[in-house]
Amino acid sequence: MTGAWTKAFAALLAAAIVMPVLAVAPLAFSEQSFLVLPPRTWSLRWWSVFFADASWLRALLTSLEVAALSCLLSVAAGTSAALGLQALGPRARALATGLFLGPMVAPVIVLAVGLYALARSFGLVGSTLGLVLAHTMLALPYVVLNVGVSVAALDPRLALAASGLGAGPGRVFRTVTWPAILPGVMGGGVFAFVTSFDEVVLAVFLAGPSVKTLPVRIWEEVRTEYTPVVAVAATIMIILAVIGSAMGRFATRRSA
Amino acid sequence: MSAVAFRGVAKRYGASEALLPLDLEIASGEFISLLGPSGSGKSTLLNICAGFIEPTAGSLFVAGRDVTALPARRRNIGMVFQNYALFPHLDVFENVAYGLRVRKIARAELEQRVEDALRTVRLDGFGARSVISLSGGQQQRVALARAMVIEPDILLMDEPLGALDKQLRKEVQIEIRRMHVARPRTTLYVTHDQEEALVMSDRIAVLSGGRLVQLGTARELYSRPVDGFVARFLGESNLIVGRVAQLQDGRATLSVDGFSSPIEGYAAQGLRMAEAACALIRPEHVRLVAGGRQARVVERIFLGEIVALRLVLPSGVELWSRLFSSDAPAGDQIEIGWDRERVSILPETS
Repeated sequence: MTGAWTKAFAALLAAAIVMPVLAVAPLAFSEQSFLVLPPRTWSLRWWSVFFADASWLRALLTSLEVAALSCLLSVAAGTSAALGLQALGPRARALATGLFLGPMVAPVIVLAVGLYALARSFGLVGSTLGLVLAHTMLALPYVVLNVGVSVAALDPRLALAASGLGAGPGRVFRTVTWPAILPGVMGGGVFAFVTSFDEVVLAVFLAGPSVKTLPVRIWEEVRTEYTPVVAVAATIMIILAVIGSAMGRFATRRSA
Repeated sequence: MSAVAFRGVAKRYGASEALLPLDLEIASGEFISLLGPSGSGKSTLLNICAGFIEPTAGSLFVAGRDVTALPARRRNIGMVFQNYALFPHLDVFENVAYGLRVRKIARAELEQRVEDALRTVRLDGFGARSVISLSGGQQQRVALARAMVIEPDILLMDEPLGALDKQLRKEVQIEIRRMHVARPRTTLYVTHDQEEALVMSDRIAVLSGGRLVQLGTARELYSRPVDGFVARFLGESNLIVGRVAQLQDGRATLSVDGFSSPIEGYAAQGLRMAEAACALIRPEHVRLVAGGRQARVVERIFLGEIVALRLVLPSGVELWSRLFSSDAPAGDQIEIGWDRERVSILPETS
């Protein structure tokens, strides 16, 4: 009896978790002009609307561009940070790690207000650079954490063995350290990409008329028109997120 | 000229002395074991030799050149770690080839040397295998090949068999000995296992508390240890505590409470008249002697061809005796003795 109840509860919980995601996809294939569930007739009408509208496409491309750039930046900075943290003493490391993970625990709206003020004084509101820097900050903790795990698992004697065999510091990094932490770097990169791609709060504050990410565009659309084209944009985001997390899984699986 | 020479090498961490100033010369092709309990300084000494730890005093010479200030990568040293430290993302061939690639050896020669090294450790044909798929013993042999293939001036091994189980440890031990006999390389081998040191070494350096206590062949250390620590560390030993009663011409006698006659034996360095000392009598030298000292058998341990007897003398002193099982007495009251030439009188060690 308990077994049946447990299963029912688990099913209910799973349904609650995936419900919004499952609800969005059918809406994207609706014929109607309003977001109504379930759609009475099916069509690809709103997909054509999406891809015919330059503002939607530009938002998608902006999102991809910002995500790719902040992914690169946060991977470079986060990997260096993770390697540097490992070289610190235990107390300094705990302190510095806390600092690096700060953006993860700080309320996003607080970060947004602060960043908005900063970006204004540097003239970065409404620029790609401003968004990239903000998202890099938000993604950095994920890279530091992911790479940190790889770095901690790396046997320090491997580097000793390599230098004992005659390898200089550069060669040791290239041939020993980098291959060992690569899965962590890739995993961190995927997290960074996804973090930036679906981020909306900072983007709303820092976006401008010409630089607008997909989530910001969806937000604006929902407030004015509320057509199923929003569901199309959301479905595209879900697909990319699934691909991203699958890649992340693959990257970390290879290390094991 | 010695292949490796430590001159007054010492290491201090803050207030604690990891290694007291030490002199050690290793001849070319000689296999020396550093034997001692953990914290004795043996690994520190090895890591100083490798260039992973900087000594606080003294100099290190390898092949006549002062390498004290050189980083590890410029020393031409082959190091074998206890946990193998193989590069997990490289196959067996590339692991062994690593040092040769650093040295920019041409491809044909590189392949030849890697193949030769793998054959030496009996892993020919394993080149394309992933190192993770190998057993512990095989991984350690890859590590050996990787260290030897660069033709190092000295081969350093840090408890290389520590992670293997007992049976495998014996096999690899004999393997290392066989390779050393076939092609002697100057080797410094760290271990806390006396049997390993006895099987493999030309000479053994016993360390304790950061101090080199004794350096000599296995036979010298076993039959003429400088103190009770070395005696206890190598082989089984009976140490009977007493006071020095006579001391001359390299011989000493020790008077022991409750003993009717004193124990006579070879006098080690550092003995002083009337001071505390101990007599070393190896269990295999405690024999049945008609008309000898009275002893009572309180325990018998059958070990196959040998039987170990725990004896109590009337004075309360306990002794172990190892006899051939066929010679073992049936009764519990026996008479024992020993050859005074086999006895050493050693200074007390705290």
